[in-house]
Amino acid sequence: MTRIPRCRALILGVAVALSLTACGGGGESADSTANTGGLEKTTIKVGALPIPDSVSLYIANAKGFFKEEGLTVEPVIITGGAVAVPMIESGELDISMTNYVSTFAAVSKGKKIKLVADMYQAAENNFNIMVPKDSPIKTVADLKGKTILVNNLNNIATLAVTTQLKVAGLTAEDVKFAEKPFPEMGNAIAGGQADAGWITEPFITATQSKLGFRKLADTMTGETENLPIAGWMATEEWTQKHPKTLAAYQRAIAKAQELAASDRKEIEARLPDYTKIDAQTASVITLGTYPSELNADRLQKVADLMLEYKYLDKPIDVKSIIVAPPSAG
Amino acid sequence: MNGAPLTRGAIGVAGFLVIGELVVRLWVSRAFDFPAPSVILYEAALLPLDPEFLQGMLVTVGNWGLGLLIAIGVAVPLGVLLGALPPVEQAVRPLVEFLRPIPSVAIIPLAILLIPNNSLMKVSVIVYASLWPILINTLYGMHDVDPLAKESMRTFGFGPLAVLTRVSLPSAAPFVATGVRIAAGIALVLAVSAELVAGGVNGLGVFAVAAGAGNRMDLIMAAALWAGIFGVLANVVLQLAERRLFRWHWLRTGGART
Repeated sequence: MTRIPRCRALILGVAVALSLTACGGGGESADSTANTGGLEKTTIKVGALPIPDSVSLYIANAKGFFKEEGLTVEPVIITGGAVAVPMIESGELDISMTNYVSTFAAVSKGKKIKLVADMYQAAENNFNIMVPKDSPIKTVADLKGKTILVNNLNNIATLAVTTQLKVAGLTAEDVKFAEKPFPEMGNAIAGGQADAGWITEPFITATQSKLGFRKLADTMTGETENLPIAGWMATEEWTQKHPKTLAAYQRAIAKAQELAASDRKEIEARLPDYTKIDAQTASVITLGTYPSELNADRLQKVADLMLEYKYLDKPIDVKSIIVAPPSAG
Repeated sequence: MNGAPLTRGAIGVAGFLVIGELVVRLWVSRAFDFPAPSVILYEAALLPLDPEFLQGMLVTVGNWGLGLLIAIGVAVPLGVLLGALPPVEQAVRPLVEFLRPIPSVAIIPLAILLIPNNSLMKVSVIVYASLWPILINTLYGMHDVDPLAKESMRTFGFGPLAVLTRVSLPSAAPFVATGVRIAAGIALVLAVSAELVAGGVNGLGVFAVAAGAGNRMDLIMAAALWAGIFGVLANVVLQLAERRLFRWHWLRTGGART
């Protein structure tokens, strides 16, 4: 084998690889469903985390609210906002759950995302900083120099904790944040990997009952009181192409949100269906609130907090990224 | 196969479970919240009664099988082709050597971005990961063909195609089978990992995601146990098939010892 053919062979190989990668990219799947009641699309896929926040999706399905609107909704379990955004962009999902801090951060980076419905708002003792029973940390000020576990860095967790640090005269620089999924936080703190954790339900209840943790602080007080947490999002393009489908979805979700807000039993009845939270746990965990109206003023608070704590470089006008239902009712 | 090794194996597993139970109950559970093996086994025994879990298992196993079949369909002909045409193999080799060591799990986020269909995305990453062991083993098999046998065929006037089908392919087949068996294990890892990363409607990994969000470590471990059981079964079936199909090869390479 001479040197030159080998070289040529190599170049050929690289060229083939390049041309193969060039012809990727798929076509949009055509949704040519026959229109029922003028809906642009009658079957939609909606992404949600298997947690209490997203209960309205399952209430609406169970109570037939979607069906009344001529919609078939297929819930898809997502693993977090980081995966959900590419999924709505690629068309794999029509609508997805999102948390507002992630959404506003994504919008500030130029993502064309619209909020289409509200979902979950923080209530008292919903998102707490938890420490082991015998921890020397007695007040938020004691967190100076300590490691705090959060489910995601640069997101609601760190923002909420930072607002509490500020009240205690500290800043985010005075503590160390480390990332850890909720299910592993309790054991990680018990094992000494960290000193405290920003924990939500059902893990607040679990760490209390199984590991004897105590609450150091409720992070949803003061600046973050009643902080909007999560909502439903779609791409701008999707909302423009499917206005009637969207309106139908919004009506059904609003109805389910009202039911969830008015009767906790409705939530408890659904949790064992789509989460692995059993009925007994469902009856004792602390839940947030379920607003039925997408209110720009309320959400603006999140964007303003993000600006204040430098999670955003420039202000966001929440009104511009909301697609509210055409008219109430 | 006689009973003694099986009995010893069973004693080994039982001993491991008892020690695990004691360690978790006496030591781990003092400081940590972790389910004991008996709790996990109990939940695992109940899982087949859960329609949601069964459906998930079917979806995951379906993706696994489909991905593996496509990988075989692509990698075996490709390996034979490359093995039969050394200049082409030299052209493609740098690319293969570059792509092969990339941990397949790392391409899942890229696959989510590029492939707008969740099931297709999952099958694609399974195919991608399963390709390499089958391709490389097929190539080795093709290189390992006895040159004397090939020369003899040629001397008797057989053409290249006859040499390929009568000597090279049968000779490479056991290597291909080994590659498929290795790929089967990798495919299962990817089938579950893709679900853990991307979620979905149904699946073993999706089940584990929901179990995690609901603080049910026992269910996560029980689902992992079922994934393990499936992996072992798949391996046993493939190994038996190998021994039956390639008895001659197995005997020649000294497999009869064990």
